[in-house]
Amino acid sequence: MDMLMFYLISACVCIFAVLSVTQRDIFHCALWLAMTLLSVAGIYFYLDAPFLGVVQILVYVGGIITLFVFAIKLTAHIGDKAIEQKNKQWVISAFITLLLLCILLRVFATHPWAKMVLNQAPFSMTQIGNSLMANYAAAFEFMSVILLAAMVGAIVIGKDKK
Amino acid sequence: MIPLGYFTFLSAFLFCTGIYGALTRRNVIGILISIELILNAVNINLVAFNKYLGSPDGLGEVFALFVIAIAAAASVVGLVLIIAIYRNAKTLFTDGLTLMKE
Repeated sequence: MDMLMFYLISACVCIFAVLSVTQRDIFHCALWLAMTLLSVAGIYFYLDAPFLGVVQILVYVGGIITLFVFAIKLTAHIGDKAIEQKNKQWVISAFITLLLLCILLRVFATHPWAKMVLNQAPFSMTQIGNSLMANYAAAFEFMSVILLAAMVGAIVIGKDKK
Repeated sequence: MIPLGYFTFLSAFLFCTGIYGALTRRNVIGILISIELILNAVNINLVAFNKYLGSPDGLGEVFALFVIAIAAAASVVGLVLIIAIYRNAKTLFTDGLTLMKE
């Protein structure tokens, strides 16, 4: 049952990811990306990280996908089905990517921790909050500065200069 | 419980899919979508290693949160840049945006 669940979620992630990079209509790609991100949230739930799963759904599927849809709709008739979406080097790119995938899988399959099944106790939300606010408080504050900078930058760049 | 290797296989596949998309897409929005896939592959690795190897203060999950926040900031700036480029150049295809080459 446990195994079956993992295989199901992984198959969803893989199929949706491939669809989101190969579909012609860019709007459909954004929707397939949303499905991929939801499946990745399923992986987080499977790994006993429910807080991260909820954040994934809230920030990615709720926020970033909405932004993508807005950007696609604001740049009209760019993602038409009639326009070719692949560039000319796609064959060599596919070859190189497959080579990279083979190398990565080979390394991961032979590494000693590949068969590790040691199971740590899941982290509670309280523990994550504690380490976020105590041990990594500096990184947390820098993160808020980065988000503020991104917001101000987005407003400045996106403003219509007339 | 399934071994740790399976999660790394999944994340390697997701990573390579993202690389393929970033290399082959003509549309800039498609490249951004592929980059989101790559960041998610990294996050799966972080959370899986945190679960299997363990860390005293949940470092893997905390860093996955940071990666999500950075990805949000990056895609906001990226999409606004895309809209600004579209306003000026009226195209979003990488072979049409050769202003820096000329």
